[in-house]
Amino acid sequence: MRTHTNDRLKGTLDLLVLKTLASKGRMHGYAITLRIEEISESVLRLEEGSLYPALHRMTQAGWLRSEWGVSESNRRARYYSITPTGRKQLEEETQDWVQLTEAVGRVLRLA
Amino acid sequence: MGWMNRLSNLFRRDKVGEELEEELQFHLDARLRDNLNAGMNEAAARHDATRRFGNATLAKERAHEVNIVMSIETIGRDLRYALRSLRKSPGFTVVAILTLALGFGANIAVFTVVNGVLFRPLPFPDPGRLFLISYQSKEGGLGLFDRDYLEYQRHVQAFEQIATFNQDSATLTGAGEAARLPTADVTSSFFSVLEVNPAMGRAFLPAEEKHGSNRVVLLSDKIWRNRFGADASILGKAITLDGIAYSVIGVMPAGFAFAHEAELWLPLEVGGDPGNFTTRAVVGRLKPQASQQQALAELEALAKHLPPLPVANREDMFAEVLPMKDLVVGKIRQSLLIFMGAVGFVLLIACANVANLLLMRGTSRQREIAVRNALGASRGRVIRQLLTESTLLSLGGVAAGVLLALLGVPALLALAPAAGVPRIEEIHIDGWVLGFALLLGAFTGILFGLAPALQATGNRVRTFLALSGPTLTARRATLRSTLVVSEIALALVLLTGAGLMLKSFMRMRAVDPGFRTEKILTMTVDLPDASYPTVTAIQAFDSSILTKLSNLPGVVAAGAVNFMPLQPVLISGDFTLDGGRKLPRDYNVAKPDVSPDYFRVMGIRFLKGRGFTDQDNSSAPGVVIISQSVARTLWAGQDPIGQRITMEDEPKPKDWLTIIGIVDDVRQRLTGRPLPAIYQPYQQVTRPFFLSHMSFVVRTAEQPQSVATGMRGVLHDVDKYQPVSIAALTDLAGASTAETWFQARLISTFSILALFLAAIGIYGVLAYAVTERTREIGIRMALGAKKSDITRMLLKRTLALVLAGVALGSCGAMVLTRVLAKFLFEVKPNDPATFLSVAAILAATGIIAGMLPAQRATKVDPVAALRWE
Repeated sequence: MRTHTNDRLKGTLDLLVLKTLASKGRMHGYAITLRIEEISESVLRLEEGSLYPALHRMTQAGWLRSEWGVSESNRRARYYSITPTGRKQLEEETQDWVQLTEAVGRVLRLA
Repeated sequence: MGWMNRLSNLFRRDKVGEELEEELQFHLDARLRDNLNAGMNEAAARHDATRRFGNATLAKERAHEVNIVMSIETIGRDLRYALRSLRKSPGFTVVAILTLALGFGANIAVFTVVNGVLFRPLPFPDPGRLFLISYQSKEGGLGLFDRDYLEYQRHVQAFEQIATFNQDSATLTGAGEAARLPTADVTSSFFSVLEVNPAMGRAFLPAEEKHGSNRVVLLSDKIWRNRFGADASILGKAITLDGIAYSVIGVMPAGFAFAHEAELWLPLEVGGDPGNFTTRAVVGRLKPQASQQQALAELEALAKHLPPLPVANREDMFAEVLPMKDLVVGKIRQSLLIFMGAVGFVLLIACANVANLLLMRGTSRQREIAVRNALGASRGRVIRQLLTESTLLSLGGVAAGVLLALLGVPALLALAPAAGVPRIEEIHIDGWVLGFALLLGAFTGILFGLAPALQATGNRVRTFLALSGPTLTARRATLRSTLVVSEIALALVLLTGAGLMLKSFMRMRAVDPGFRTEKILTMTVDLPDASYPTVTAIQAFDSSILTKLSNLPGVVAAGAVNFMPLQPVLISGDFTLDGGRKLPRDYNVAKPDVSPDYFRVMGIRFLKGRGFTDQDNSSAPGVVIISQSVARTLWAGQDPIGQRITMEDEPKPKDWLTIIGIVDDVRQRLTGRPLPAIYQPYQQVTRPFFLSHMSFVVRTAEQPQSVATGMRGVLHDVDKYQPVSIAALTDLAGASTAETWFQARLISTFSILALFLAAIGIYGVLAYAVTERTREIGIRMALGAKKSDITRMLLKRTLALVLAGVALGSCGAMVLTRVLAKFLFEVKPNDPATFLSVAAILAATGIIAGMLPAQRATKVDPVAALRWE
């Protein structure tokens, strides 16, 4: 299993964002927040402001593509979508996550 | 450079910041609206939205930092990727870097010289305020008549101070072997104008300009060290110059040698007497608040009120105030600028070659680029990546070019004629040169990278799989052909320049100077007035030297002349004809004084009459020998022999000289016209002034240098205080063509480089065309085309490229060779023979370069070709 050099929480947020965009396509930041809350039945509560640095970082890394569009309320908003590189990243992160949680689960069960 | 844009992003915080602000505001507003819709009151809704959002400022800062950090990371990524990609194709990389290194090396080497000679400030404090002052006719050179200098000095406001000076030379004896040294005669204001003080002792006092108190001298640091062992107590000691004792009052700082490599400085008195028509260089230090225009206006205003001169027409004279560097840099400026142009061409050709390489590589990288596109990289992103690569290549070329220049600069200076490059000690690769190289490299990287990058990422690339790309190939081929045509055109212009210079040089060498230069050794002396105050003393010295020289083993004959051909100094003037006939207006002749054997030694042809003998001495009636053109001009159709002339304005009976012979005309300078001359026997000269400078010439049986030691011994025997200055006449002749030879060789070197690069370019493009068209060639051959058809097809393409290049280049050369006009000798800038031969050379080179790929094309196996890809 790959060792985690990056902040686990940051990685988690990335994973959630990537997964959300992978399944729902083009979204703006607020919609991403709502979607994550909705799916996790409000278990995962983001500090919403921290979402944006993550979005910008992932855009620069080439995982996301951003563009300006018009929202449902008819306002200018920045929309994000996942790139093929992002999908690859999602795959890896997912695998890591699964491995990590399985490992933690085994420890909890057997220790 | 794409990443330059990225960097500038860092400073464009505003736009990025505004967008971020808007994005965050949108989030907050959306949450607020949802809260309101859910039934919260306004205050609660707002509070909840802010609470959920957390620290907005922090979020903003973080998001912004991300953008900045990522910019820098992208640059790093681009560079790493570029390096990896270049490493993956080492052949391409090496060829491209070597090609560029040739171009950069030549440019850096020439720029190093230009920087040292033209750009570096003069080694004086605040040199920008030093100006030359001149009021002369066009032929007069730069400077002021002494009387005008005195007048200007009285009135000048714009300059803090002005000084006048002239170059001279003096014989130093009593400090090692006697030597003739360059000196400068300067007014006491000279050093304060330049703001240079002696390192030891003091400069001249105004009182020391006056005759009687002017036996003082300043030494250069070099003389002080080499001749006086850096004697710390030299001040006040006497040294002997031209037989006269001078007291040393100071030693100049190391490196100071103005003007023109002076080793000694002597005080100069500027006389206002009516008979003084001396012209000297004048330099002034401008007042801080004054301008060059102001100084010029002042000089022009003063010039209107200057009294008329008997020796020059004031109408023809014009005022000039020029930066002092002009005096130091002299005429080399133009040569250097032409060389800069020439190496610029070489670099352009190198760029065209590398651009072609990149285009071909672009084709083979189509797939890679398409994949990157598909993965979401924008066109700008890919272009940025490609430009990073080309800039990296270019900088690699610069690094290799600097290494080449390290070798090239000494080589270039070694080619230069002796003393042909001023300020040679200032020439080295410094920060400015490196800065220039880097800038040039960065600019060049974009220059040759941009077209290929645009082409490689063109819109059609995305569909390259669908559209198997004949249109694309055609477009690329056009660009490549354009590049090759420009290369040929550029090379042609350079070659034409080289051809013209070489032809000039050959014309110069073919000039008949009117004498023979082979197997002649010369020795020049300047006899000081102090030791040789009378004509008789000088004549005794000369005759004693001549007798001893003729007895030297290996010497066929020995002669003497006061002003030798090929040397710059010459006495010329008018004379009076017997019978009151006037000379043509402005008719001047050279007036050499010679020994009887002079004509025989020099091989100057005798046309009529008799030569001088030893009997033509001071007690015999005065005689002269005239040159052919004097006879033609003044006695056309008559016999001048027996006619009389005089050099004196108020002749006494014994001043009338009878013409006894006619000789051929002689060129004083190889590139000049033959000069009319009237020769007098040195034994009949009555003024020491005409004889104090004397050259002895000997015709030798063998190679001339074989008698140099003997010659030196003769001089030492007669007067051991005379410095020795011996040179073969062929070397002096060589020196007068040296500048042309230098220019011809340098431009030829650059044009051969250009030709070589252009040949590689043609080869490359055709070789690639063959590869690209392998399938087509295969089909043609399968359909029955013969090998010769294929060769012809490809050669036709080569020929088209070459002819287009030659036509374009010839037009360019027509315009551009005009800048050479000043340097050409008996050759017109649009000399048809040169143009034709250069075109032929280029065409031949082009066809040979194209032949190899054409040959390879005929080896294409039709079956294999059809299976290709």
